[in-house]
Amino acid sequence: MQYCLLSREAETHIQTMKNRYLVGGPITPILVSELMTLGNDDTGTGAVSIFIGRVRDDEAAGRRVTAIEYSAYEEMAGKEADEIVRTVKSAFSDVRSVIIVHSLGLVKAGEASLFIMVTSGHRDQGTRACRHTLEMIKERLPIWKKELF
Amino acid sequence: MDISVTVLYFGAAEATTGRKEEEFLAGDTASLRRQLITRYPDLARLPFRMALNRTLLKEESVLQKSDIIAILPPFQGG
Repeated sequence: MQYCLLSREAETHIQTMKNRYLVGGPITPILVSELMTLGNDDTGTGAVSIFIGRVRDDEAAGRRVTAIEYSAYEEMAGKEADEIVRTVKSAFSDVRSVIIVHSLGLVKAGEASLFIMVTSGHRDQGTRACRHTLEMIKERLPIWKKELF
Repeated sequence: MDISVTVLYFGAAEATTGRKEEEFLAGDTASLRRQLITRYPDLARLPFRMALNRTLLKEESVLQKSDIIAILPPFQGG
């Protein structure tokens, strides 16, 4: 099965995607439900592990974060995300697909800015691979944030 | 020999320099790094790493014509 993010059918619904990994604005519940249909035709998948990261209203110097503005080195982010997917798939033999979507631009507190979905034959490798993907994203994806108050 | 290369600034580096990109003349990344810190002393405090043609630089490298160097403050995605 391909690791590629979007099927043609899903792509027509996900107009805001900047490339396979980056989306302008928040990751909405509608986008999440579209993403969750990817790989539905792979009947060898027995486990789907999902992680969603949301913008938290942290307090800094007496002010509360209301939103985060994300920016990225888009060309490098695409290349690094490809590499993360390859690495995770080779480290976990039971993993069948890895899907990563990160927000760019403005995301309000409470909205989602990161979506990871790992499909696998069974639950054990899937949940571990999902966590591993998250750690690699934090370490390797050239993305920056500006907190807005 | 010094070569003209493009430097891209991201995140806090963009805020520090007030620019998105700029041309520099340099023969290698070590020389470029020195020029950057001379021109923008605040960059040294970020700190930052460099990518050469979209790949994170692990050691200093000779520059070729049309190389693209990106100035990357610590990543904050996720």
